Parts: sequence; structure tokens; C-alpha cells
Amino acid sequence: MVGLPYDCLSNPLGAVRFAFDKALSSSDSAAALDGKDFGAADLFLRFLDNGGLLKVPLLNSKTIKWLQPNTLVRFRGMIQDMLGNEFYVGAYKDRDVWRTNKYADVSQSPMGSPSNSQIWERRLIYCTPVPGQNDWTEPSASCIHLETLGKEKRQRDEDAVMEDLSSQTEGFPCPKRMREGDTATPSSTIHGVPAEGISSMAMVPSDVDKENLSCLVKIYDSPESDLKLNDVFEFVGILTFDQDISMEKDNKDDPENTICEDLLVDLLPSKVPRIHCLVHRKLAQSDFLPGPVTLEPKPHLVKPIREALLGHLTTLLGNDGVAAQYMLLHLLSRVHARIDTVAVGKLALNLTSLTNESISVFKNRILCILKTLLPFTHDVPLTVELLNAGPLAPRKDYDSNRLLSGPLQLAEGSHLTIDETQLKAGSLDSTGIDNTRVLKSLLEWQKVDYDFTYYKVEMPADVQLLILSEGKSNILPADIVLPFCPSSVDSLGTPNAESLAAWRWYLATMRSLTHSIEPDMQKVLEDDLVAARQTDRSLGTQDFSRLLTMGRLLSISFGETCLSMEHWQMVKELERLRRERLQGRI
Amino acid sequence: MYRNADIAKDFLIHFADSDAEAKYMNILQDVSNRKTRAIQIDVDDLLNYKDVDEEFLSRVTENTRRYIGVFAGAIDELMPDPTEAFLDDDNDILMTQRNDDGNDNTDGSDARQRMPPEIKRFYEVYIKASSQGRPFTIREVRASNIGQLVRISGIVTRCSDVKPLMQVAVYTCEECGFEIYQEVTARVFMPLFECPSSRCKLNNVKGNLILQLRASKFLKFQEAKIQELAEHVPKGHIPRSMTIHIRGELTRKVAPGDIVELSGIFLPIPYTGFRAMRAGLIADTYLEAMSISHFKKKYEDYEFRGDEEEQIASLAEDGDIYNKLSRSLAPEIYGHEDIKKALLLLLVGAPHRKLKDGMKIRGDLHICLMGDPGVAKSQLLKHIINVAPRGVYTTGKGSSGVGLTAAVQKDPVTNEMVLEGGALVLADMGICAIDEFDKMDESDRTAIHEVMEQQTVSIAKAGITTSLNARTAVLAAANPAWGRYDLRRTPAENINLPPALLSRFDLLWLILDRADMDGDLEMARHVVYVHQHKEPPALGFTPLQPSILRAYISAARKLSPSFPRELEEYIATAYSNIRQDEAKSSSPHSYTTIRTLLSILRISAALARLRFSDTVAQSDVDEALRLIQMSKFSLYSDDRQRSGLDAISDIYSVIRDEAARTKKLDVSYAHALNWISRKGYSEAQLKECLEEYAALNVWQIHPNTFDIRFIDA
Repeated sequence: MVGLPYDCLSNPLGAVRFAFDKALSSSDSAAALDGKDFGAADLFLRFLDNGGLLKVPLLNSKTIKWLQPNTLVRFRGMIQDMLGNEFYVGAYKDRDVWRTNKYADVSQSPMGSPSNSQIWERRLIYCTPVPGQNDWTEPSASCIHLETLGKEKRQRDEDAVMEDLSSQTEGFPCPKRMREGDTATPSSTIHGVPAEGISSMAMVPSDVDKENLSCLVKIYDSPESDLKLNDVFEFVGILTFDQDISMEKDNKDDPENTICEDLLVDLLPSKVPRIHCLVHRKLAQSDFLPGPVTLEPKPHLVKPIREALLGHLTTLLGNDGVAAQYMLLHLLSRVHARIDTVAVGKLALNLTSLTNESISVFKNRILCILKTLLPFTHDVPLTVELLNAGPLAPRKDYDSNRLLSGPLQLAEGSHLTIDETQLKAGSLDSTGIDNTRVLKSLLEWQKVDYDFTYYKVEMPADVQLLILSEGKSNILPADIVLPFCPSSVDSLGTPNAESLAAWRWYLATMRSLTHSIEPDMQKVLEDDLVAARQTDRSLGTQDFSRLLTMGRLLSISFGETCLSMEHWQMVKELERLRRERLQGRI
Repeated sequence: MYRNADIAKDFLIHFADSDAEAKYMNILQDVSNRKTRAIQIDVDDLLNYKDVDEEFLSRVTENTRRYIGVFAGAIDELMPDPTEAFLDDDNDILMTQRNDDGNDNTDGSDARQRMPPEIKRFYEVYIKASSQGRPFTIREVRASNIGQLVRISGIVTRCSDVKPLMQVAVYTCEECGFEIYQEVTARVFMPLFECPSSRCKLNNVKGNLILQLRASKFLKFQEAKIQELAEHVPKGHIPRSMTIHIRGELTRKVAPGDIVELSGIFLPIPYTGFRAMRAGLIADTYLEAMSISHFKKKYEDYEFRGDEEEQIASLAEDGDIYNKLSRSLAPEIYGHEDIKKALLLLLVGAPHRKLKDGMKIRGDLHICLMGDPGVAKSQLLKHIINVAPRGVYTTGKGSSGVGLTAAVQKDPVTNEMVLEGGALVLADMGICAIDEFDKMDESDRTAIHEVMEQQTVSIAKAGITTSLNARTAVLAAANPAWGRYDLRRTPAENINLPPALLSRFDLLWLILDRADMDGDLEMARHVVYVHQHKEPPALGFTPLQPSILRAYISAARKLSPSFPRELEEYIATAYSNIRQDEAKSSSPHSYTTIRTLLSILRISAALARLRFSDTVAQSDVDEALRLIQMSKFSLYSDDRQRSGLDAISDIYSVIRDEAARTKKLDVSYAHALNWISRKGYSEAQLKECLEEYAALNVWQIHPNTFDIRFIDA
């Protein structure tokens, strides 16, 4: 950072101003900028690319205590809600000098007449930690390093900020000072209505707790299609965490009758930090691997890992080799294309024949291994009470103007285990029926209908679904129904950290491999499918699709990107074994 | 400024609508006579007015709030005297008194003592955005639209009570007795406490001001929230919402759930005072409503956009419109051409007829699709609903307490009994798609008999007896009785619906999953292609956009084709033939009734509408008969094969019989094709038959035209 007149980490706003002034020097008026990026994002992108990213402290419930406002932070989360856009005075003229408010909540100097200001817009996104995120994904090792680094830096930074700001023109009140000044007159509104800060505290949504730190991210410039609901992102931006705006609760004359509520009433800045996002990046599963990855997804390297993982899964599933094979394919599945309504690539697995005795043993084993292998896992014990209790799908609450999250608002690539053995006979009310329909559409189409009262909005999902049931689940039609036949319950050795890391890497990387079908293979497939249908009329497009998906997953499980005859035969063999089991049951 | 006012005045005086009436002066007269309060200035009128230049127009649409004032000023000057007597209200008495007082107690030195023009006005000015082009979605309203007139569409999600909003506050001073006026432009205002009049100042007394509520001017004010429509939300996003301020005469026009099109001024609410400094950067925005219209979802109200009219005209000239349109329905679903044709006709429908004695004959076609699970029935249904401007999709079992027809429910707030329309009532003048028709509740199923023929829903519950309109075309999908179609049983056993209900369907299709190599290979290819290329295979043709389809259908629905006399005989014979065929057959398995005859008429009329023709042609009737035949064959094709006659000899007998009937030896190819297609055979089969029998020297075939000449023996 030598040679730069600012410190990107501790004084990002200084860098923003620098970029703004530089952009202005080449054009005569801020109007010409028209709210577009003036080089600040590029500047930070360059800084982050040059190894800056690891220096940026991560914002979470642990680090929030010591992170300073107006510094650069990093936040990883899922987009839970989109609050629309917000208009702000982007640039204004302060005595012949154009200044910008971009990436800031508070104007640094009083603004002049509206004719000398530009209104720009930014988008508000409400982010929560990824639901069901497992502990091992927390970058603990690097975090500790950062934390110590940060703590010693903190004092230094504070001084630097103070110095920096006081060295600026007198028109810049330091945020600290400003805050002190404001608390003195918290409610000097024209109405003189006492501030309702206390009562509004009670209205804070329950998801804003100490453990799960949510964040309001303000997005500038990037096209709308970049960020989608339920995407997992890493945001790098400027943290603002003002305590005081909350103190002046809206001064509306009669709160019960007015509906022009502030979007942000519920999101008290004292509870929910704001990040003015400079750079954002979509995260894949492999980004959640703790250590740096050195392995290459080459077949000869992958094979031993696959064997070891398969062996572990087999032991885990009571020496049921077929179940282990299917489980492996299931764990590698993801929706890789959507054609019309069909989600191509999903492979929901239904393990049947689980009795009350076996479920207690195997459920915990399965859940445990899933937790250690996959970054985001959930389990839902399906009961009549749960189905009737409330909607599983997210819905819009028009009173608070927020999207209320439901258990089925899941990030891309999450794993969901549904335990149907808990389900007892009982009657469903209308909520329950709705919920079963939502679950069914998730299984069949990988879609969840979000309830907006007046209409439903279909949200595409990409969730691996594992269903544990006694008989074939009719409520939850999975792609693959497999009677589970454990032969022995061997004690499970704990895999060492090294192999765990390898397995995690394997599952995260392999699933995103590309896959192709060569023309001559295509011919074989077509003939095989037609022949299969000639013998069994009940086969439909879904079954064809399942076979091809399995072919794809099997070959990528070997690290191959092209379907080979050998793997196709393996798929057919697996399906034959499964059919035998199914027929054996009947 | 001066010029603007002049332009506005000139426009108001001289603008003449299509009837050469001075539109705005008439409105002003009505206002003067206290018949109306709202003066809506249509930007479209400004656009059409010769003396208004582009520049003025853009100023009006980009700085609308100011120009409302300009127009109001012009109207003040132009306001004619009332031509009719009306009762004075309080306000008028006050105004008269104020006028009588004249200027004797106003010294004019202070702005607040001058009467603001607002208080004298008993009208409201609105500027309505041009209805040309597509309205914005809420998402598309950007920072650059601030201050501009925009037109948006959305659904109302919340609505406040109507409350008075002070527009001009009037005070009287205890000391000097002057009336002091204060114009209020924001939602909150700081009341005055000290008299600002020069007399009080001169006397150096602090005159105490008392707010005079009766003299002040209030406006009706309502707040609403609108949200983006589902179809405007990009994939993976959350619908956006916007605050709407509704004033004056526009209040009480919307309720939650309404789909509306609004024009209004997009304005920021600047934070004032202390807040401006702190949170000051952020400005809340709202839309000041200027006009509200409810979104119409009916064919009859469809308005063409852009070049749609030309596209339709060019489509209509193209001969193959019937095939082209039907193929564009659910293009991703392979095959099922005849079903798609039937669905297209369902969308078009036939005109309703009302007989002189008051009896109504429905024009809506009802279609039932029956078939094995997984043959894309539901997808077809959903697609049709998407194309139809007003369509409701529901399932026989899954509909809520209101069900399919209607229910009487207790309003939770007022405890009154209210009628709530079910899916069929909501689909009035549209299409109601009912999936899982066979699993319908018994109560709904009885009610559906009435809906399908009388097109009303009658209710006699909780002291409410009424009849609701349900003029809807029913598109039903049902599974066979045992989940899958059982070929060993008769069709009647497989179809799990009573004949009374079945006869109400104009067309009934059975979609079976049959074993045939070509179909299987097609399916396998499709699935492999999808997995290989991650995109659906090319269709081989470009389907028409749903919007064009909708426009074409709405244009077609405007026609009401009539049956020419010479066709009556033809239809009658065709009908009696079907009846006789049925009587001859040992196992009568179809229900040919007088309803079938009506179906033929309806389908023919719909076909004529598609051709944009005012009269039904014989070809329409032939196609109608063919469709009916095909729909039967989908059910009984196995019988036909078992009946001993193979397709070729059947075709021969058809042609021979027809030739014998008309006592001619020559049969033109086109006629032959017509006859056999009515029986459900294809052109290829006809050609095969022609060749085979020509080889037997039964007939001669013309080498070019394929016309048939029987060899007289």
C-alpha cells in the first residue's frame, strides 16, 4: 500500500473520496457520473486481488464486538430478503466542491440546495448466515490469526482514524463526535413526540440474535441479475454500525393507521450492522473448505479418496454397499440445468425399511456424517404437528414488509434430511396440506412457492433431499427409492482430520465438474432406454432422466468428465440391484 | 412561466375531442355547477393538440407537480359561471363573506394574509399519463424518474383508512381579527402561534392565533402500498413494493388485492430538520397518484399494443393460421396436435346466443383431458391458463373452503355474512382449469353441472339466495378410475365420471401412454438431448409469443359468425349419420345427444372466428366433425381395430358410400380427404388406400390432382 494516500482497510471512505475526486477531475460535474461507479470498486478490487482479501477482517457475531465502524470488513451470508432500493443524495456541492455520499450512511457536511445535489440509488439486501451452516466451515484457523492481528491493530486504527479525520477540512465531523452530539437531543423532531426507542426494541425480529448475526448490505452499481435470493455471497464493504438512528423512531402521528413505515424500522442499526458493499463474490461450496486446496481433480488422484469415502459410508450404513453407492451419488447431485419445469441433475434419495429400532441407530450416524462432510445441512423430523404448526415455505409479512423465512428457505446446495418415520396418523389442516404440497414440489421440481398472499412466487431451489421412511414415502416422492438392508452395525472409527478434509474437498469439487456425453455413447444410451421401455411400459421420462443423472454422477464421482461405457454399465447394475430389492419387498 | 400559463389556457379552451366538443371547457362547466370535482388532464390530449410542442410536453411529464399548479392557475381564470343553481354549503357562505370583506382588512404586506388560491378552488387537477406504451413495473422506476409522471402497474397489498389532510390552515388572530392562511404541502406542518399581520407587528402585540377548522381546507387522503405483479418479478427476486399517496377524488378506489394501473408523480419525501442531517442521505419515495384504473383481464377489453395489429393482420392472411396457433400452445410438449387444436378452439370459443324467449345457449367450449399420469396434462392446463387473459387454475380436491363454486362466509371484522366466489366464479368470462377433476368433492360436482350448462352458480345458504355468473369455459383434467388406464376394461369403466357430466363436455380426449417404438425413441432422444446439452431440443419452428396469441384470440373473439342456410342441411345429415352409426353399433359407447349437435355448431363457429370470417364455411363443419371423431377415437381406437375392417378398407368403404350417396362416379381428392378425416384417418392412409385400390382396378387416380374416378362395372 505504499504510495497510496489512504489505507484501504481502516479508512476505506478516504479511498472512496480519493477515487471520486480523481473521477471528477476528468469530468466537470458530478452529474456526468450519473450514479455510476467512479472507480472505487475497481480500486478495492485491485487491493483485494493483491492479497488484501485475507487482511480484511471477517464480520460475525464474535468479531462484531471489536470491529470499528467505517472500516473495511468481509461478510459471508445468504441473501434472505431483498428490501428494494433506496434513494440517497449521491453527490452534492459543498461550496463549489462536489462531495459524494456513496458508501456512507451519513453525510459529512451539511448539504446545500437540492439543485446542487444528485440523487442516486442503491439496493438493500438483508443477509443472514447460511442456514444450517456447519461448524467446520467457519474459517477458524485464519480467523484466530486475524483476530489477534485485528486486536492489536484496533488501537492503532482508532488513532489513525481520528488523525485522519481531524486532518481533513473542518467540515468533516468525526463520526464519534457526531454521535455524542446526537444522543444529547435524541428527539428534537418538529412534532415533539417522544422517541419510542424502547418499545421498538421489543419489535426486533427474533432472528437478530447474538449467535446469528444478520446484516443489511447496500449494493451499488452491480446489475440486478447478479444477486439472487438464497444465493451465498461474500461481501467486502464498509461497515457502519451507528447506534443512534434507532433512537429516533419514526415520528408518525398515529402509528397504527399509517402504512408508510420506514423500511428500516425493524432493522435497527444498533442490532443489524450495515455494510456498504464495494465488492461482492458468489461463493461456491469449495469456498467453504477451511484449508487451501492443493489437490487437482484428476481421476487417478480422486479414485483413492472415492474408495475411502465409499468404504466409510458402507460401514456407516451397516455394510449395505448398494445404499452407500447411492448415498455417494446423492451427495454429489446438484441441479445443473432447468429445462422447462424439469430440474436436471437432482437425485433425491428415499431410504425405506427403516424400523423404529434401526432409525435410532442409523439416523444419528447419517446426520453426523452429513454434518461433518457437507457445509450446510438440515434435518426435519416430519410430524403432523410440524406440518400443521406453520408454513414451511417463506412468506411475506406485509405488516413489517419483510419476508419471513421458513425452514424451506435454503441456500443453494444445502442438504435436507427428512425423517418420515416420526410421522404418525393424524389429520392435516389446510396449513398442513399446503406444506405437503410445498415439500412435494421441492422434491419433484426443486422449486418452492413463496407465499406473497396475493400470489405465489416460484423460487428455484437446489437442495439434496434424503428421506428416511419405513415404507416408500408417498407424500415425498423421491427419485430413488431404496430399501435399506443393513447387515451389521459395526462401530465407526472416527476418520482422521486429513481424510475428512480430503472428503470434503472431494464432495465440494466433484459436484461442479462438467460432464458430457459423446455421440457414440448417446446412441448406446438411446437404444438402451428404448429397450428398457419396451420391456417395462411403466418407465417414463422421469426414469430416463434418473438413469442419465446417475450416469453423470457416477462418472464425476470418478473424476471423469465424460460418460464411459463402463460407468453406464455400473449404473444399470446398480439399478438392477435396486429393482431386485424393491421386488423382494413386495 | 408566462408562456406556460398561456399554453395551458389555450389548450383548455381550444382542445376538441373526437366529437369536436370542447372537452375541458365542458368539464369546467360541470365543475362550476358542482357536478364534479376532478379535472383530469390527459397527456394524450396534450399530445394530440396541435399547438403544444414537444418541449412543453416533456416539461409537463418531467416536472408534473409544478404544471398541476400551472393548469390550476389557468383553470382559475377560465372558470365559467355556474349555469345551474345548487345549494350553498358552508364553504360557499364563507367564501362569499370573504369576498364581501374584500381587501379592506388585508394590507397585503404579508404573504400569509393573502388568500392562497388553493382555498378558493373546489376542484382538483390531475394530470394523467399517456396510455401509450407499456406501463413501468415498480422495479423499473429509477432515481432518474424522480419528479416525473410515470405509469406503473401492480397489485395493491395494503390500504389505509381515508383521513383528512389539511391543505390550507386558516387561523384567526385574537388581537387583530385577521384571517391568516397557511398552505400545507407536506404531511406534517408546524402550526403558527403568533400573528404575523402588520397591524399586530405595528402594535407590538403577540396576537394569539386560533386554528379555524371549519374555515380550513382539507383533502381526503389515503395511503396504499402496491407490489409488483408476479409476472414482472425476475427469477430469484422478491417483488418490490411502493408507497402510493392518494388524494381527493381518487381515494377509496382501491382495495387490497386489486390489480391496478396507476399514473402518478414519483416524488421523494425529504427528511426535514434534524433527521435530514442524520439520516439525511436517504430519501423515502412515494407515488402521488394521478389516475387509477383497475386492470382488466378480459378479452373484450384487450387493447392492442405497438405493432400487434399489423402482426395479427399478416397472420390472418397466412393460410395456415390454425396449425400455426395450435402448435404455439405449449410448444415444449411434444405431439398432441389435435388436442392443442381443441384447446385453441377452447380459447377462442363461440359467441353466446340469447334466444328471444330469454334462453341462453352457451358459447364456451368445455374440454376434458383424461389420461395416464405423467402425460403432461397438468402442464397443458397451466399453459392454457397463462395464455388466457383471465384464467384460474385449481384442483378438484385442493381448493380451499370456498371451493370451486361459492361459499357464504362470515366476515371476521364485521360479522356479516358475505358471499365469496370460488374458482368458477372468479373465472367468469375466462377459463377455469380444473386439475384432478375426478377427485372433486361431491358438492362441487353437483354444482358444476349447473355451471357447465347454465353458466351460473346458485347459492342458498345462511339466508342468502342468489345466483352468480360463471360464464367460463371449463378445461378439466382427470385420471382414469384406477390411476392408470386399464385396457382390459371398457372406456366407460375407466372414465370415472357420470354420463350426465360427460355429455356436457364438447370434447373429451384420452391421452394414453401407448407402446410404440417411435414414440419411445423420440422420448429417449429428448431426455438424452436435455442431459447432454442442458437445453431443450430445437422445436423446428418458432412458436408465436403468448402475447401475440392472446392478441389474435381477442381479435377473433370479437366476431360472431353466422351459419348460412345451405349449411343447415349438411350439419343435420352429419348429425343424423353419427346417431345412426351409434344405433347400428352393438356396443353404443358414445353419448351422442342434442348436445353433440350444439358442440358441432360451437366448434364450427370457433373455427370461423379463427379465420376472421363472418360466416361458417363447410370446411369449418368438417373440421369440427373431424375433431369430434378424433376425440372419440382417442377413446375407442381399440374397438375400431377389433371391428375387423382395417384402415384401408374402411377408407374405401367411406369413399364408396359417399360416392353412392351423391350418385357420382367422380370424387375430388379434397372431398375424399374431408370425408376420411372426419372419420379420423390421415392423408397418408388415404394415399395408401388410393394406390391399393387403383391397383385392383376399382378406380382410376388422376396423376396430378389425385381425383378419383370409379371404374363403372
